[in-house]
Amino acid sequence: MLREILNHFLKKPITVKYPFERIEPAERYRGRHIFYIDRCVGCGLCERDCPAGAIKMVESDKTLNRRRPIFLLDRCIFCKQCERICPRAAIHLTQFYELASYSKDELVYSEEKTSKS
Amino acid sequence: MRMGGDGELADPIISLIQILIFPGLIFLFILGLIFEWIDRKAFARFQNRIGPLYTGPRGFLQPLADFIKLLTKEDVTPRYVDKFLFNLLPGIAPVLPVFASFYLPLNGYPILHPFEGDLILIITLMTIYTITVFMAGWVSTNRFSSIGAARAILQFLGFEIPMFISLASVAIDSASLSITYIADHQPIPYILLQPLGFIIFLIALQAELERVPFDIPEAESEIVAGWLTEYSGPKLAFFRLSNNLMLVFGAGLTTAIFLGGGSGPILPPIIWYLIKMVFVVILSTILRTIFARLRIDQVLSGAWRYLIPLAILQLILAKFLAVLVM
Amino acid sequence: MSIYKIPVGPQHPAIKEAFQFNFELDGEIIVNVKPRLGFVHRGIEKGMELRSWVQGIYLSERICGICNVPHTTCYCIAVEKLHDVDVPKRAQYLRIIINELNRIHSHLLWLGVLGMELGFLTFYMYVWRDRERVMDLVELISGNRVTPSMNFIGGVVYDITPKMEMAIKKGMDYLEERTKYYKSVVLNEPTIKVRTENIGVLNKSAATDLCAVGPVARASDLKTDVRFDDPYSSYDEIPFNLVTYSYCDVFARVLVRVDEVLESINIIRECLDKLPSGPIMKKLKRTPPPGEFTVRVEAPRGELMYYVKSDGKENPYRVKIRTPTLANIPAVCEMLKGYHIADIPAIIASIDPCYCCTERMLFIDKARNKRWIWSHSQLRKYSLEWYENGGRR
Repeated sequence: MLREILNHFLKKPITVKYPFERIEPAERYRGRHIFYIDRCVGCGLCERDCPAGAIKMVESDKTLNRRRPIFLLDRCIFCKQCERICPRAAIHLTQFYELASYSKDELVYSEEKTSKS
Repeated sequence: MRMGGDGELADPIISLIQILIFPGLIFLFILGLIFEWIDRKAFARFQNRIGPLYTGPRGFLQPLADFIKLLTKEDVTPRYVDKFLFNLLPGIAPVLPVFASFYLPLNGYPILHPFEGDLILIITLMTIYTITVFMAGWVSTNRFSSIGAARAILQFLGFEIPMFISLASVAIDSASLSITYIADHQPIPYILLQPLGFIIFLIALQAELERVPFDIPEAESEIVAGWLTEYSGPKLAFFRLSNNLMLVFGAGLTTAIFLGGGSGPILPPIIWYLIKMVFVVILSTILRTIFARLRIDQVLSGAWRYLIPLAILQLILAKFLAVLVM
Repeated sequence: MSIYKIPVGPQHPAIKEAFQFNFELDGEIIVNVKPRLGFVHRGIEKGMELRSWVQGIYLSERICGICNVPHTTCYCIAVEKLHDVDVPKRAQYLRIIINELNRIHSHLLWLGVLGMELGFLTFYMYVWRDRERVMDLVELISGNRVTPSMNFIGGVVYDITPKMEMAIKKGMDYLEERTKYYKSVVLNEPTIKVRTENIGVLNKSAATDLCAVGPVARASDLKTDVRFDDPYSSYDEIPFNLVTYSYCDVFARVLVRVDEVLESINIIRECLDKLPSGPIMKKLKRTPPPGEFTVRVEAPRGELMYYVKSDGKENPYRVKIRTPTLANIPAVCEMLKGYHIADIPAIIASIDPCYCCTERMLFIDKARNKRWIWSHSQLRKYSLEWYENGGRR
């Protein structure tokens, strides 16, 4: 054990000085959602299947059934069930994980993206 | 205080500066914080981590920041403690190692005039420190503190004797009980002449300072914080300060007795003294890194079964050496 | 001989979760132990009854942070048995891989925690640094470091690409080298040996009587392992050894877990070599037909049991979970008697306690012949009223 610790004295520490240095998450990392409004039909399967109750359907005039989901990120457990169950692949989880905020309002994710952009 | 100085009036002022600033209170305080930083940084680097980083350059001011932070925290006193002792003990605890350090020849000559037997005075001060620790735990009327206090005294029973015997073997070899005399008259440092004594003294010092593998009185994962449990805010700040000052004092004593004090070519004696003290601190940190904590009965049985016979063996060898020299 | 009582918990630096052991001491020797659980009860079994079958997977995953993969595996196997289907072979092998990765992660975490309990911080830091490698591999496969959410009713959700297989194999080589080093440290370091040898002895007959499970039983020379006795998910096609030691003390439990890490590394390598091709998921109906099933799997801590009953509706009728730590509590009370206070953290840590797994409660009213369970909000309401009424009624 003595030799091991003396060796480590000369090596670079393994600590990553976040936020000055960052580690890239893996490709499949489950972070914040992206929602494609032009693919959504408003079926509500994501709201039904979400284990944490983090998806609420609200009114919208851009989808077939006149509803679209908004994501309550403070309840979300990032399990990807919504992405899997969506029949139109309108929800996708990205790698963005720096989601801390000072107010609950900022944690309601309701941006609408179109899949052409 | 130096005898026979230049002028009658210059002497008290020089002594006052020595006591208060260098190498007295402020110097020892700063040295305590620096040694805590060295200890924490080395401990972290051995474990492949960084240690303190942001306060000051490379985290240099972190011990000072911790001290100031603790001073500003709320001071909670439990209802049934003995208020007089509870408030007095954190004040006594740092004073003892500072007083003992006044007898160390930091700048070649100690602040207080050395005399034959100041080694024994220093040992007595360390004993009183352990008793202070015990009283601090006992007076807190907390289950965990009483266990910690009892363990502190038990550990002391194990280690006081080997420490004293190893110091006595050095004293016999140099035929003096004055630290300054021992430090100045070491043509070959005693670490080479009495390596067994050095090892025993280092182990006993680790127990005196309550560092792993002997940090049983304040074992965090077993009895919360041992004898320190009920102290908070400024009182905790002063106990931690006393811990650092004991480290300074322990390193200083080891340097004076075994490493030849401030002797060395070219550089002034204070610089050599500091370099040797840092060496002792790093040795103590290495011991802290590679061992797990022992149990109190194992510590006592190990001390009485192995350390004391080895220390007595060292004493006999030292007497032999002294006779040979004469 | 006066008895000195000391409570350890619910808040204590030695324990990561809230539980309470009331010790009765004679000096520094433990005479008696009375456990008191129930501080972490969350109403999970009731929660399962209120949620659909698919939502139940994610709820069962969050019962325990460290052994989450066996929970989902057990639940999914139970529901698949209700559907009376077999999942595809590739899915079964992937389940083995993710289960064994979770086992390595859990045992390495435990090894570090044991080092911390013994005051050996350096060991703890090194082991947790190497545990990061395992979590990086799990993140590579599934997207999350600790809760992979990989099991689903009918198979697994994520597939392994050849690039990931290379990364896993490299990770396994690194972990094998480091685990062998930690084994040598544990075997040779005198301060560890002196704190763990002949401490917390639970001899073979006591282990059988008190129904110890998992590494605790295997360290007392009992050959019980669900992967051998009752193979699930193709474990019978992968050859590996059953690790037992006969010293029956904390040291044996350390060695059992370290050896199990080495065995898991070999299992993963075998699985990657033999991975069959094919689909990874079989699409099933949303609700299983009526029936009831009990399934056991080998969690890192021991035998985990799920009883699932369906009556054809959207939500399960009843889910009963028996976690391994609950089975080990009587054993740990027996193990503690006769040892010093200083051994308490080591002995309690040696059963690898996971109290958040443990807390299940069933109300049985003998007079009125009723039994029921409460949800978290009902329990909270009851406890607030109880304390407002002054404690005792």
